[in-house]
Amino acid sequence: MRDDADRGSGHATAAFERLTLPFLGDVARFARSLTRDPTRADDLVQETYLQALRGWHTFNADADPRRWLFTVCRHTFLRTERREARYTEAPDDDPELESLATAVAHAAAERSGAADAVERLDLGPAIAEALAALPPHYRVAVVLVDVEGQAYDEAAEVLGLAVGTVRSRLFRGRRLLQDLLYAHAQDAGFRGARPPVTAPRTAGPAAQRPSPTRAAAAAPPTSAKPSP
Amino acid sequence: MSRSPAPRPDPLPGAAGPDAPDVPVAAPTSCETAVRRLWDYLDGGLAAPSHREVEAHLATCAACPPHFAFAARTLDALAAGRPAAPSPDEGAALRERVQAALTSAT
Repeated sequence: MRDDADRGSGHATAAFERLTLPFLGDVARFARSLTRDPTRADDLVQETYLQALRGWHTFNADADPRRWLFTVCRHTFLRTERREARYTEAPDDDPELESLATAVAHAAAERSGAADAVERLDLGPAIAEALAALPPHYRVAVVLVDVEGQAYDEAAEVLGLAVGTVRSRLFRGRRLLQDLLYAHAQDAGFRGARPPVTAPRTAGPAAQRPSPTRAAAAAPPTSAKPSP
Repeated sequence: MSRSPAPRPDPLPGAAGPDAPDVPVAAPTSCETAVRRLWDYLDGGLAAPSHREVEAHLATCAACPPHFAFAARTLDALAAGRPAAPSPDEGAALRERVQAALTSAT
């Protein structure tokens, strides 16, 4: 904890700014990932810094200021979402069942033709749209790990959740995101698209082994990855 | 719902068909076991033996690789969609705005 003289006035604000403003760009990018809207993102950044200043006396000098700002930003974002009635309570599911449900949903999408339709989509814009439609609870988890590339334990700290809960929320968020992609593909008019009848699809190399960058970003040996 | 053209080696639970009989412990990894590990596998979160089991399953299964490939594609697209940090101009404007708000709050 800092000296009491360091809080409560212009000095405190100066110290606060010195410590937190270098991370303004990171917070701004995180806010853009969460809101998917530049104007709302800037509002969220401003509100995050105001909330952080109010909570500055609770900041532990040994803590990572960037992660602390992300936590405040996440709180502020979810509070706004709740006020705007877009908030849905998330039950914590079994991550393995979420994985299984992901594959079951993809198998169903293969049968309906939606999977082929998604294959033809430009996934970038479709993902952005799906992410914006994802319930906030799940969106925050997916943004932290899959967009920001944080490890499970870092994301758990920002979310104030156990690593296991982050994992189930993340997996469910990914599954919901894929469901939104199937729906998007069908809305985009690919419903009648004929699935290929000859050449069976083969998985790309990504399906055969995890991408090293993903593995490194999402689950370094110190956090999510079980010790070999 | 029509069935898929070729019988799957081990239908996923939730798909049509009776429950699969118990399999011996030494049996190759089933589709269910493999897909229960889908996200952990792609995240590199499995212990080495489990990781190898999934890998071996994917090398021989006709049904599962597309599920994994689409999941991997989704993750790649999410990572590629990381918004850019504000440009220097945007950053400067935002910094000014935040500092003004902080000043008027104290």
